[in-house]
Parts: sequence; structure tokens; C-alpha cells
Amino acid sequence: MGLTKRFGDVVAVDDVSLTLAEGETVALLGPSGCGKSTLLRLVAGLERPDSGRLRLAGADVTDVPPQRRDVGMVFQSFALFPHLDVAGNVAFGLVEAGMPAAQRAERVGHLLELVGLAGLGARRVDRLSGGQQQRVALARALAPDPALLLLDEPLSNLDEQLRQALKGELARLLGALGKRALYVTHDQSEAFALADRVALMRAGRIVQLGPSEELLERPVDGWAARFLGHENVFEAAPRSVLPTGAEGLEALFRADLAALLPADEEHSAGGHAHTAEAVVIEALREGLGWRLVLDVPKWGVQVVWRGFDREVRAALGLAVPPGAPRPGASLVLSAPPDAWRLLDGQRPAAQDRAARSEGDDPK
Amino acid sequence: MAGGAAALYLAAFLLVPLGVILARGLAPEGVPVGAPIWETLTNRYYLGRIGFTLGQALLSTVLTVALGLPTALLFARYRFRGKRALTAAFTIPFVMPTVVAGIGFLALAGPRGVLGVDLRNSLAIVLAAHVFYNFAVVARLVASFLERVAPQLEEAAATLGAGRWRTLLRVTLPLALPATLAAAVLTFIFCFTSFGVILILAPAARFATLEIEIYNLTARLLQLDAAAVLVLVQLVLVLGAASVYTRLQARLAVQVAPGTAERPPTAGSRIILGADLLLAGGLVLAPLAALLVQAFTSPGGAFPSLVNFGNLLNVRPTLSFAGLWPALGNSLTFASLSTAVALLVGFAFAYAVARGGWRILDQASLLPLATSPITLAFGYLLTFPMLVTTFWGIPLAHALLAFPFVARTLLPALRAMPKQQLEAAALLGAGPVRTLWRVELPLLRSALLTAAAFAFAISMGEFGATLLLVRPEFATLPVAIYDRLGRPGAVNYGQALALAAILMLLTALVMLILQRRGRSEF
Repeated sequence: MGLTKRFGDVVAVDDVSLTLAEGETVALLGPSGCGKSTLLRLVAGLERPDSGRLRLAGADVTDVPPQRRDVGMVFQSFALFPHLDVAGNVAFGLVEAGMPAAQRAERVGHLLELVGLAGLGARRVDRLSGGQQQRVALARALAPDPALLLLDEPLSNLDEQLRQALKGELARLLGALGKRALYVTHDQSEAFALADRVALMRAGRIVQLGPSEELLERPVDGWAARFLGHENVFEAAPRSVLPTGAEGLEALFRADLAALLPADEEHSAGGHAHTAEAVVIEALREGLGWRLVLDVPKWGVQVVWRGFDREVRAALGLAVPPGAPRPGASLVLSAPPDAWRLLDGQRPAAQDRAARSEGDDPK
Repeated sequence: MAGGAAALYLAAFLLVPLGVILARGLAPEGVPVGAPIWETLTNRYYLGRIGFTLGQALLSTVLTVALGLPTALLFARYRFRGKRALTAAFTIPFVMPTVVAGIGFLALAGPRGVLGVDLRNSLAIVLAAHVFYNFAVVARLVASFLERVAPQLEEAAATLGAGRWRTLLRVTLPLALPATLAAAVLTFIFCFTSFGVILILAPAARFATLEIEIYNLTARLLQLDAAAVLVLVQLVLVLGAASVYTRLQARLAVQVAPGTAERPPTAGSRIILGADLLLAGGLVLAPLAALLVQAFTSPGGAFPSLVNFGNLLNVRPTLSFAGLWPALGNSLTFASLSTAVALLVGFAFAYAVARGGWRILDQASLLPLATSPITLAFGYLLTFPMLVTTFWGIPLAHALLAFPFVARTLLPALRAMPKQQLEAAALLGAGPVRTLWRVELPLLRSALLTAAAFAFAISMGEFGATLLLVRPEFATLPVAIYDRLGRPGAVNYGQALALAAILMLLTALVMLILQRRGRSEF
């Protein structure tokens, strides 16, 4: 039985099971309100589950209060103590652990160095930039050397540039620490950049769990596909493409695998199972490339295709500037067999490992 | 222009009177400079008064914080039934006129009190009344600050290994320290200048605060030089405390993230919460309940009875003995006039500070808060001897006492108004005056109403300045109440109670308007 938490009539976390491997970082990814933060708070002990158990390092910690749980947490708002300086914040948990002052100072210095804030120990926390505050929050959570590190949208309070810079730094740090970590985010690029596995959450449940490539290439259903950015998700597969047993199932077309070819050429089916004539409905410039909406009569759908100038020009026979694709232009869309996929709700074979581990007690 | 008007008003009705007192205290005519100061400050009696005033204020402050801080912590963190009603109830004393509070404690533990113990002329009853008065200041100020402190700070402490008590000790209390100190300083100022409560509950000479001593020297002994020196001593000490308060307030404005930390109390904290509420609720409600019970008890001891109110109507008012209707009429008239003046000047002040960049005025707005009613009235007596014999002395003094509250209510409202709305009005063709009339005033309606209620309640309950300035025909409700208390017999006592009950209900009515509207900076 998995972890469940209700708030009144709302089931915030619904029968969730998850096991982290040694040194693994798992991202909880989902839209706001999907229960990812509640799940994190359950693991931290800041909320109590209605049912289910939590295990940490072999011991059942479900009834252990947060202060004795050996879990570190980086809060979304950083939650730095304004009445303590940087060193005081980092040392907070060490004082609670009863570490002697000399040792404490050494550990604080080591951690400040680790997060790149060496020498700033005496600084007041409200005199720090957002990025520096984030680093202090991380150092503070890591100081008592917890068995598990929790991060609640740690980058969401920072501006875009800083977020990009810190993302890479955080990824390196998490890898170097070799610590189990749970990372909550609504931003898939963060999840994919930082996590070994990503747990995609919706309405309190984990709908898909696996490495990032797996989620991106083989989303489990239409919702997951759309959430992860796929634009060509259809209520049903075209009959000509997936004729048997496909009734009532959503289908995904991977336009990124498809190529555009000139309309007037002869096309051999070699390698490319799906070939269809298409007409440009709409063309929008996107940076150095194009976003084309193509009508494909053979499939009875419109698909979105994105690509660079070069491909579009070659397919449409356009001149180097000022040529631009025009609505009504014809071309041929050619895609390999696995470009069309039924979203059958089944977990792909690669997910068996994760599925099996769900038999264990969750964490 | 608004700034000039406000500055002129403050100069004429605050700075000049204070300056006259200063001159009088430092160098009155015919004696060497500094002589009165030397004489007064080497006088062991006066030194004893200064010591007592400081000591009772410190003791009152410590007791108030000891009771108010736990209440603030519990209110900021726990959700329980009746919390809103209790919050409102705890605010009642703060707005109750001193005379009502004094009579409440008299009805509880005075010579004829319901408890049957006569605590009059004891330090205990003075301290109890001071705690009653200021408890809500500490509880509300600290609770509202803690409510704004992100609950994540306490959660972070928990994830770092700190249990409930350790979190309280290492996070919550240090965070609450500036707010607690600010509230303590305010409490200290109120207790330091305590007047009405002590005059009623502990009239013996050994309980006289500086404020009472100044009143006696002025109104009874006519030793104006010594009074002026004591005013200066009081002013220096209170201004020192007030500057600490402003500095602390600046620190309160920093940091804090939003979030609600309220949670249902656990079994253990339920007991603490219950004990605290019982103690605080008892302290706050018992005197007021005793007042009401005794007001409806006849001089013969029958309850419930309307005899006291009947006596009030039957009494034939004389020049030196104000009846219900003249006193009520005077109170309402003075309150209306002083509210109008305070609103006008307060608005001009706030407008000048918020729009005109009159920063120096902003600094000055705490000066009237640090000026005690007796000090102000004394200053008016010295400066405007002609004015105070007329009808206008009292409402002008009340307006100045209400002014800081009005200004501090209107200022944040004006500052919070989005600039774009004014710019939009200008682009739509409205000049500054039309914008004021069609945009700003309508937007400020609720703040203006709050400020008006504040000013009205302050004037209705004002006792010290009124007592010093009053002529018999201008007696207000508080003065009429005090007058009856000073006369012998159960009938007079009963009438004082009935008048106090009426004043209490009127104040509660004004308070209701305040509760429904927005908040001020206090």
C-alpha cells in the first residue's frame, strides 16, 4: 500500500510508492497542485500521511518527527533565519546535533567553500543576492550530512539567467555528493537536467517514472505527452497507420523523427514506413527555424512540425532569403515506423525495474 | 500647501506650547537660569516620584510582556474556535477610556467591589490595571508580526533537528524579539504617563506618577516652575523611549514572507492555550463585567436594577455637578469638533508626507505621541491663557492628541494608492483638486472612517488634559464620572458606575465601526 494524504475531501497524494536507489536523484515533476510538494513534505515529516509507510536507511520513519528524521530540505523561499548570519544559518543543524564549536566552525567553512561562498560567513542573510541565499539554504540543509536531501523548487525564486547557471552547478554537486535526493519542480528542463529518474505526477499519483529519455520518447498517455511538450497528440490513430486494435486509444506522432521531402519527387518506402502528402496551413517563424502546421489528408489530421530553414527550403524548393513557406504549398512528410505510437497507458518494458520496486515499502 | 498647513498647526499647537514649558522650566523670570531644575532635581521628594514612576512602568511592562507574549505566540500559530471573537475582546481595553478601566477595577476590587477585597491604594491593583490596558498592545503587535513571518522558518528548523521547544528558543523567540521590544516600549510609555487609572485606583500620594505630580503642582499648588521642570524630565525620558520605538519599527518592516502558520493545537499546547486564555480573558473581561453588574445594582444592593440610571436622570444639575445630558452633550460636541480638526490636519499631514515629500513632518509625527495629555494641557494653560477659558481649549487639545493616530492611519492608505490611478485621472483631464475629490478621497473612505472612529473614541475617553483645562460648564462624561467618585455615598458611586457603563457602551459602538474597517499602523 502506498502513501496517501488527504486534505478534507481533496486527495493530495494518492497511493504513491517510490524507492530511491543509493545516490540517486529523483525529480517529482508535475503541474501545480499535482501533489508533488505535499509528497515532499510527507517525506520530510512536515505532514503526516493518512496511510502508507516511509522507510529511510532501513528503518521505518513514518512516526518519527522531522527533527529526528535525518532529512535535509531546501525550501522554495529558502527560509533563511533572518536573525542569524550566514555561518549561523549553516551551523543551525550542527548546534542541534551537539557538535563542538571548533568542529562546527570547520564544517561550516567546508560547506561554504563547497557552495562557493567561502569568506561570507559573517554576512547578514538579507544582504545576500538571491543566488547566494539559495547557496546558503543548500549548505544549511547539507551541513548535518542528512541521509536524504529534499529540494522544493529551489530555483523557482531566481531569475532566468541565474537559474540556468545554478542548474548546472546543482547537477554537478548532486552527482558529486552521491546522496539520495528528491527534487520537486514544475519545470521539465530542471527535472531532466538534474535527475537520474523523473516521476511525472498528476492528481496525486505518479503516472510515469523513468529516466528522462524514456519519458520524452515514450510518454505513457496523452496527458503525459502533452505535459512534456509533444504537440501531435491525437484522440485516435489514423486507420491507415495503425489499423488494428487501436480503437479508443490516443496516439502520438513524433514529428521530430519525420523528414520533409519535395512533393514532386518519387519516394521509395525504404526505411520510412510512413509517407504522406501534406499541405502547409500555417507557417510561423521561430528564431532560426519554422513552426509549420501541416494538413495530412491521408491521415486525416493536422500535424505540427518544427525545423530549421535548411530543411524547409529543401522540401519546398525555396531560394535562400527571402524565400518563406507559404500556406498552400505542398510537400511530403516521411517518418520511420516508430514515429507513430499508440498511447496505451502501458508502461514500456524499460520501466519494469521501477514497477518491481513498487512492491517494496515506499520512500 | 497641505504641508505648510500641517506644519503650521503642529508648530502652533504643539511646538510653541512645548517651547513655552521649556523656557519656563529652564529660566523663568526673576531667577537664574537652571535654578528651578537644580532645585527640583535635588529635591528628594521629586526624585522619589521619578523613581516610582520609572519603577512602576518597568514592572508593569515586564508583567504585560509576560502575559502578552505567550498569548501572541499561541494566537499566531494555533487555530481554534472563538479566536476571532477573542481577538476582538482583547482589543476592548486598549480603546476603553481610562476612567472606565479605573472604575471597572474599582467595581471588581474596590471598597464596594464584587470580590469583597479592597485593593484600592495598592501597587497590585495599579499593575493589574496597566496589564489590562496594554496586554492587547503586546499580544496584537507581536502576533501580527509573527503571522507574517514565514512558517517555513520553523519547518526549516525542524528539518535541521530542532524540536518544538528548541525551535521556539532558537527561531521563534529571536524572530519575535524586535516586535516584542517595540510593544514593550509602547507599554512603557503608556504606563510611564499613567494618570486616570492611578488617580482613581490609588489616589494616595505614594502612588503619584510624574503625570499626577504635574497635575497637582499645576491645578492645586500653582507651583508652575516645578511643574515645568517635571514636564521636561518626563518629556526627555518618554522621547528617549519613543526614539527606541521608531528604530525598532524600522526593523520590523524588513524581510518576512507570506504564509499561514495556523494549525490546530496539539494536546499539550491545548492545555497551555486554555490556561493562557483563561488568565487573559479573565483579566480583560472581569473588570468590565464587574462594572456592568454594579451599574445595574441599586445602592441598596438589589440586582438587576435601573435605580442608578434613574438617579442619574433625576439629579438636578448644578454648575459644579454635571448631569447626564450636559455631560453627554459636551462629550459628543467636543468629540465631533476634535474629530473634524484631527481629520483635516491629519489628512493635510499625510498628503504632504506621501505626495509632497515633507519627510521632516514624517519624523515629527511621533512627537505628539510622546507628549502626554497633562503636558499638552499644561502647555496650553501657559501659552494660551485666553483660549483655554473659552470653549475651544478642550477640542483643540483632543484633536492634537488624536492627530498621530489619524495621521498614522491615513499615511499608509495614501502610500498604498497606486500611482497609475492618479496618472490615469490626470490623463482623463482631472486636475489635482478634481483628482483628490473624485479619486483619492473615495479610495480613502475606509481609512478616513477608521481614523474618524479613532479620533472620536480618543476624545470621548480623554481624561487628563480635559481635567486640567475643564471649566464646570464644560464637564465631559469622564470628568462627571470622576467628580461623582470623589463624593461620598453609595448613590454617587452608583451614578458614577451608570455613567461609566454609558461611556463604555458608546466607546464599544465606535469600536465596532473600527473592527469592521481596515487597520492602521498601530
